[in-house]
Amino acid sequence: MTIQEKYKARVKELLSTGAVKMVIGYKPGSTAERRRPLFMRSPEEADQLVLDTACIANLAGYLVAEGLLSDDKRVGIFLKPDGIRSINILAAEAQLNIDQIVVLGFDIDGQEVNALEGESAGDFSALIESIKDHAPEAPRNPLIEQIEQMNPIQRFDFWQTEFSRCIKCYACRQACPMCYCRRCIVDSNQPQWINTSSHTLGNLEWNIIRAFHLSGRCVGCGNCDRACPVNIPLRLINARMGQEVLGAFDHFAGMSETQEPVLASFKKDDSETFIL
Amino acid sequence: MTRILLSDKLDNCVARWRKAGLTVIGPVKKETFSSYATVENAAEFDLGLVMPDRSIKGLFFPQTEPMVHYSIKKQAIETRDFTPPSEKRIIFGARPCDASGLAIDDPLFGWDYKDDFWFQRRNETVIVTIACTKADDFCMCTSLKLAPDSTKGSDILLRPLQNNRGWQVEELTDRGREAFKEIADLLQDGSEPAAAVAVVPEKFNLDACVAWLQNPENFDSTFWKEISMRCIGCASCTFLCPTCHCFDFQDEGDTFTGIRRKNWDSCSFALFTMHTSGHNPRATQSARWRQRIMHKFNYFPGKFNVNSCSGCGRCSRQCPVDMGITETLQAISTLQP
Ligand code: SF4
Ligand code: SF4
Ligand code: SF4
Repeated sequence: MTIQEKYKARVKELLSTGAVKMVIGYKPGSTAERRRPLFMRSPEEADQLVLDTACIANLAGYLVAEGLLSDDKRVGIFLKPDGIRSINILAAEAQLNIDQIVVLGFDIDGQEVNALEGESAGDFSALIESIKDHAPEAPRNPLIEQIEQMNPIQRFDFWQTEFSRCIKCYACRQACPMCYCRRCIVDSNQPQWINTSSHTLGNLEWNIIRAFHLSGRCVGCGNCDRACPVNIPLRLINARMGQEVLGAFDHFAGMSETQEPVLASFKKDDSETFIL
Repeated sequence: MTRILLSDKLDNCVARWRKAGLTVIGPVKKETFSSYATVENAAEFDLGLVMPDRSIKGLFFPQTEPMVHYSIKKQAIETRDFTPPSEKRIIFGARPCDASGLAIDDPLFGWDYKDDFWFQRRNETVIVTIACTKADDFCMCTSLKLAPDSTKGSDILLRPLQNNRGWQVEELTDRGREAFKEIADLLQDGSEPAAAVAVVPEKFNLDACVAWLQNPENFDSTFWKEISMRCIGCASCTFLCPTCHCFDFQDEGDTFTGIRRKNWDSCSFALFTMHTSGHNPRATQSARWRQRIMHKFNYFPGKFNVNSCSGCGRCSRQCPVDMGITETLQAISTLQP
């Protein structure tokens, strides 16, 4: 039985026994390469399910849709390790009750899709632990290496050029499972913290603020830069910030549902004498 | 006999237009991204794109634009208007759907208040459109009763020659004729046949969709929720759309002095209709998606007698969750009105 068929049967079982009220997965999209999110509420809807190497979007963000989890019923969701880390963060930041989530875990390894054993987020902690341990030697985007070779002025110019294309559609924010604020700082106008106009300064402010808010929280799923309609390589910034946070605080985002958020913790023995 | 512009003369044309004081703009692809951008020579054009990622809209209605400078003094408020910048431009290689988009928005920007920023740019810009000989899976101009060689909104239409060596020239407006006078001696008479235009299959029955949308009972249909459940409310579709035109005013500065700007806004945002009280008449994403569709195919045509969509397909092409106008109208056209 292919992994897709195996999971299809699992989804049908979950839905027909009433173990979950909905399962979020993938179905075919408008072209052969595209997959779109699928919300299954009845076993029959699971017939549309696909699970293959094109299922790369991180679906975790749908879990915090207004009202979805408010009835205490359980919801199943297809997640890769990055998605599992996302729900750990959402739980650690009090955005969802992790006991309500049934994980249908899978991983994409080149041309293969593998099932991950487990059902609740905690079942995958050994796997996430090993991803953390291998993070320093994981292959990095060549563009990051290139940017690291630049001097600060060149680096600033590089990002300034990239951000100059930004049209402030906020697709990056909307696509990111970690950007769950109902009212984003950029939506606030009394007072206005961030310039809302899409010009050089406004674009820079927006992208830098977002990079900071994601440091130590980004799981590297790539939803943001796939969503960006002007193709800014947004994931690079967050990946690089993640590397900093890992080095400085030994913090790897999304280890567990109880992990202390790095942006909201302070240790008395911190080597810095100030907090930002 | 028709007038012909040969591709190898294009660089001369660009030079001529520039010499005559025109800013020359056209489709340009830079690494991973394409848009209509200013060029200095014809080699910078990428005329092989199905269409640039970004639509033509921003050249007439920029994403941010200063409107008025204000300063609040003890006795009075002083204001100074920004005037639309004057710049004569020629856009070479526009797509018919982009050019039509501008014509669709003309009545909107002029019906109760005449938007000088829009019309000055419209009047000062010559649009040279090239008919499409290739399309992709998302193109849907024909479903909107337009075509890969539609002339709507264009000043000149160029039809690619079968032998790929240039274009047949169709002058459509005085503005176009004027700009082509500059290059009259670079054109020649010819009888080379034009290449066939792209085949763009009709994706939905527009009349059936409109009939369904016009039935008030369907306003509360469960259809809206089902079709838009995966919408994440980013605004890519509206910002890339050549006809979406909503904007917001934002003051930049402090309480006493600053600039009031006109910025793109989108009905996809929850904040778009949020009241100060916190009440939001379009509280759900499905209500926002319904608004987008209703506006384009029901309210806008009700007022201006034209659909607010030119069929470029960018909304579907770029949607991060693979939604878009096409899928929605395809689904609607199968429903009973
Ligand atoms: S998705 Fe891209 S264009 Fe949109 S706001 Fe984010 S960085 Fe800017
Ligand atoms: S910032 Fe981008 S890569 Fe990181 S979690 Fe959010 S969407 Fe994923
Ligand atoms: S339809 Fe797609 S592009 Fe438009 S707001 Fe929704 S998610 Fe964004």
